[in-house]
Amino acid sequence: MADKRAVGHAYNIDFLNVVFAASSLFVLFSTLWMIWDDYDREWKNYQRQFWALEQEVTSADLALAERDVDRARVAELETRRAAAEQQLAANAAQVAELEDQLADVDRQLFVATRNFNFTKANYDVDRYDFESRRDEAGGHGEGEGEVHVEGEEDVTALYERWLEEGLIVERLTAERDALRDRIGEFNAEVDAVNDELGALTGEADRLRGLVADMEPNLIDNYLLNAPLLDFMAPTLTVRQTITPNIVDDVNFIRVPKMDRCQTCHLAIDREGYEDYPQPFRTHPNLETYVGSSSPHPLETTGCTVCHEGMGQSISFVDAAHSPSSPAQMAEWEEQYHWEESHLWDYPMLPSGMAEASCAKCHKGEVFIPEADNLNLAYGMYERAGCNACHTTAGFTDQRKPGPNLTKIASKLDEEWVARWIRDPRAVKASTWMPRVWYNSNTSSPEDAVRNEVEIDAVVAYLFANSEDHEPAIGFPGRGNAANGQRIFESVGCLGCHIAGDETREEAGPRRTFGQPLQAIGDKTSYVWLFDWIRNPRHYSPETYMPDLRLNDFEVADVATYLMGLTGEGGVEAGATYGPEDVDAALLDYMRAIVPYDEAQAAIADMSPEERQLDLGQRAIGRYGCYSCHEIAGFEDVQPIGIELSQEGSKLLPQFDFAFIHAEEVPHTKRDWINQKLLDPRIYDRGRILQPLEKLRMPNFGFSEAEARLLTTAVLSFQRDVQPKESQVPRSARKDAIIDGRNLVRRRNCIACHEIEADGGDYRQLVEDSSLAPPLLTPQGAKVKPEWMYAFLQEPITIRPWLDVRMPSFGLDDAHWNGVLDYFAAISDTVGPFRTHDVELDAATVETGEELFELLRCQQCHVLDTIPEDQDVANLAPDLRMTPERLQPDWILDWLIRPLDIQPGTRMPTFWTEYPGSFYPQFDQDANAQIESIRDYLLTFSGGPSPMQQGN
Amino acid sequence: MLEGLKGFIDLFADPQLFFATTVVALVLIVWKREAFSSTRWGWGLMIFLTVFFAFGLTDSDFNLIITKPDNVPIVGLIFLLVFFTWFSMRQAVDNDRRAAGGQPPIEKDEEDRVWTWPDLVYTELISMVVCTVVLIVWSIGLEAPIEQPANNANTPNPSKAPWYFLGLQEMLVYFDPGLAGVVLPSLIIVGLMAIPYIDKNPKGNGYYTFNERRVEITIFLFGFVVLWSSLIVLGTFLRGPNWNFFGPFEYWDIHKLEALTNVDLSEYVWVRGFGMALPDHWFVREIFGILLTIGYVAVLPVLLARKGLTKYYEKLGPTRYYVTVILFLSMLSLPVKMLTRWAFNLKYVVAIPEFFFNI
Repeated sequence: MADKRAVGHAYNIDFLNVVFAASSLFVLFSTLWMIWDDYDREWKNYQRQFWALEQEVTSADLALAERDVDRARVAELETRRAAAEQQLAANAAQVAELEDQLADVDRQLFVATRNFNFTKANYDVDRYDFESRRDEAGGHGEGEGEVHVEGEEDVTALYERWLEEGLIVERLTAERDALRDRIGEFNAEVDAVNDELGALTGEADRLRGLVADMEPNLIDNYLLNAPLLDFMAPTLTVRQTITPNIVDDVNFIRVPKMDRCQTCHLAIDREGYEDYPQPFRTHPNLETYVGSSSPHPLETTGCTVCHEGMGQSISFVDAAHSPSSPAQMAEWEEQYHWEESHLWDYPMLPSGMAEASCAKCHKGEVFIPEADNLNLAYGMYERAGCNACHTTAGFTDQRKPGPNLTKIASKLDEEWVARWIRDPRAVKASTWMPRVWYNSNTSSPEDAVRNEVEIDAVVAYLFANSEDHEPAIGFPGRGNAANGQRIFESVGCLGCHIAGDETREEAGPRRTFGQPLQAIGDKTSYVWLFDWIRNPRHYSPETYMPDLRLNDFEVADVATYLMGLTGEGGVEAGATYGPEDVDAALLDYMRAIVPYDEAQAAIADMSPEERQLDLGQRAIGRYGCYSCHEIAGFEDVQPIGIELSQEGSKLLPQFDFAFIHAEEVPHTKRDWINQKLLDPRIYDRGRILQPLEKLRMPNFGFSEAEARLLTTAVLSFQRDVQPKESQVPRSARKDAIIDGRNLVRRRNCIACHEIEADGGDYRQLVEDSSLAPPLLTPQGAKVKPEWMYAFLQEPITIRPWLDVRMPSFGLDDAHWNGVLDYFAAISDTVGPFRTHDVELDAATVETGEELFELLRCQQCHVLDTIPEDQDVANLAPDLRMTPERLQPDWILDWLIRPLDIQPGTRMPTFWTEYPGSFYPQFDQDANAQIESIRDYLLTFSGGPSPMQQGN
Repeated sequence: MLEGLKGFIDLFADPQLFFATTVVALVLIVWKREAFSSTRWGWGLMIFLTVFFAFGLTDSDFNLIITKPDNVPIVGLIFLLVFFTWFSMRQAVDNDRRAAGGQPPIEKDEEDRVWTWPDLVYTELISMVVCTVVLIVWSIGLEAPIEQPANNANTPNPSKAPWYFLGLQEMLVYFDPGLAGVVLPSLIIVGLMAIPYIDKNPKGNGYYTFNERRVEITIFLFGFVVLWSSLIVLGTFLRGPNWNFFGPFEYWDIHKLEALTNVDLSEYVWVRGFGMALPDHWFVREIFGILLTIGYVAVLPVLLARKGLTKYYEKLGPTRYYVTVILFLSMLSLPVKMLTRWAFNLKYVVAIPEFFFNI
């Protein structure tokens, strides 16, 4: 090319021209690409798709609204309007003349108003002018020796003129109104018809307008959003919610959250999109979440405080969406090139796990209404005893979840215990007791000797340290197993115990509150079982097992039945060993704390039995058995697990996946926790570890569903980030509710009773819900506290036809008052002190009796005698208890709307026309009738009462 | 086969071998520059690099490293560095060949003056347009390399300096932070500023040459290509979590361990040499290291002036000579320290933790 250069040139200009042309083309194409790249953004495409969807949904609404319009009435009104318009036409000349006059008056009024305003403005200026001149001259307008300043008369004159002009305006306004009225008289009929038509077709008209607005139109949809023009006033915009009281913690500062989720989730707070695919689906349960009248409105709550993820992001991947299953993950990878986002420490919670965020703002509460998953998860967390080893805020100071082992020798034998410990779920598939030995990091043949040595040592320690226990009745007689089974299955044992084939996952944490009773006949002796059922506190004073007030014959029947529950199961010892193996294990334990020589000497000083007991104590200490069980010698030892109070806030790098690769367990926080629950020892895989270096969390055999729930629970334990303003306000009432919710769950009341729409598992075991334990939500409004207190202390039979019975829990006054306060707080009744006195007058009571007979209350309600020929499901409590038991105001409420208070009740609603009535008494005044019945009920007495038992 | 190749490359990426390879490559380039500057070698190198990175893309671990938006410029840097080293060497060899034949350098044949328009302005315009294209395409194609909110409780691992400081960060492995972070960088800047005053050789002005400036160019190539640029490449591609070394095709396992068994010079002398415990007083303990250091920076230049570098001493005069030699020795201290670390596990020559002073 050099030869082609012209003189004085360093380059071949022709060649440069070609390079320039080419690079210019490149810059053109890259610029076009840039513009297209901006135009083709993910969220803009979603918004464009939504145009069509929105139009479709609104059109469907319109079609519905149009169908609902009363056609006949519209036609009639239109005829009337035509007639009225004709009438109007007949008077056209007159109307025209009036309208001319009106136009003239309007013009005059306009001029007069303007003059009036201008004069006022001038007056204000002149007045100020005068006042300031006088002030400057030293005057102040009154008193002797006043300085005279020129011009005050002019100001007064202007004021007078302004007043006059005001009068003109008033006169003209009156004239105009009169004229309008006269014209209106001619138009009255047409206007009335139009108003009515408007009311009939208003909704349809509104929707029609909306649909018309949504028609794609050149300017709004295309021109304003065109590439390069869209910087001015695009209709495709990023939509965001900024929440001043809910913050993101970006480590050095907390900033208000800025959630842009609605940029794509366009219909999240709009009804009508429930069945459309994401991102356009409506949020479920708008009454509780997102809806503007819900407790968590979009404008102040936003999205990511519950769902997590990066709210500022407007791309699917960067927003840190998290798949809820491997299938969804594969789908997302295909569709969105999804990958775990590394730009945000807190990725979105997968669908179904968002309840893990409730505790951020519901601080200090544990169980939260409507957070059913979370409450179930917390129940499971306590039942499995997670909080026994892992200190967790909100779950401290709980009773140890496992049975007391300080008197184990009187209850069990060593062989059974060793077999049980080896694999509890092989003996009872639904137990919460985990497997401590023979787990994934200790199941090789080499580990078997060590496992057996430790198991036997633990058993030996427990039995060597067992206290004596003297059963109340030394030689109880046997009972009738068939009768025992009937009692067991009907009296309420199944609320807390399962005895059949149900799995733990099916039964859930509430119905596995007590030990599962499968194969209990193999486990213990008849004498012990009899003693236990007869009075659980005799063996274990701190037990939560209540007393069902069975007599000794019934106890014998039940114990005989339970002793018949046997089953093979359990795992045989995996190895045999000699005394040298015990010594080796003991030496291993001791070497960890003392020098080798000292350890050797200590062992040499012990007898073989002492060595085994010492090893047993050390093994119990290492595996933390005492965290769940009372064991002698471990009264004040700290639990072994790490604290989990802020586990959900820990960052991913703090979780050690060891040699478990991402293909097997995705490297996310939730997957780590989930996998830890499914196989607690998995992160030891592939490592060379000495016995004392191995992970030691036991295996609970959680199912996928259980592990998922517990993962939700663990993720919900977070550090405090949200400010005080976002917290649920506290009050005495709120505190009573919080304490009460914890109490009724931790004592398992809600296994039988449904309270605040949660629990009541036992009700599903009863065929007819009228024969099940009652719903207790309205209890505070319904029952007098003193009666309730007496009843809880010593329950009486209210419905003799029920098999299931309320047990005696034997709680202390603090607990019972907590229950009463809780019931009072949920129904928002004022408290224990209320005026119950109702002035009874004879005439009213008489009418009440009349109505009582008319409505045939006694057909179902007991009044001393139980009505005969009545299906038991229809029977209702003895009304003689009324004055002592029920709140008088509640009786009124109950009679008016029984179904609202207790859904599913058999109590009929007699006043369907409330406040009107079918019945003639008191001029068909329902309120008066109801009050008279109430008054009549209050005259009863002599029913069963918990208050007369001398408590 | 492929895995074997990857394993071989991983093996090769060990720091000693990597450094040794770059030094050997430099020696070969200088020594065999005639062959190196051929067109065939130029194409060969470019094709080799392209194939290597294309092959690297197919490996999930290496792919993660080279496609990371921060690292893409370093890939570009490698191509540019190799190309310009080759290109300047080629021009220099050409001119040296002409000089040997008695011809003037090729630059003499060029016109003295050219037109501002179009020769200057037009090419500038084209450059601007091309830069614009590159920036636009780059910004569309690569996302900004942002990360999660900074957190003092959770720093990134590995924590890497910006790419242009990775050479410095690599020095931290061998030197005390005070030295690697303050003294040596200052010396680099001072040394670069001093070059015009030290270098009196008027040759090579305005044209490429190697033979007329052998030493200067070799030192420059060693300092820039080996000690600076190749350490950037090493820091970018081969340093992983915990600043451990990883081959390009190796998984960055955060659990990888390295036994830290380095010892100070004092231990070599007292414990291993004399078979006694370390003296209590720091001065006695470190006396040999202190003497060695003084010898390196104060005595060695004088000795070299008498023997070995006498020619330079005479040519430059005492002031220029000492400045040059001390700067040169400071530069050499890095490879010297690296070699002693690798060969003898030497941690510090002088280690006085009492004053936070280590060399």
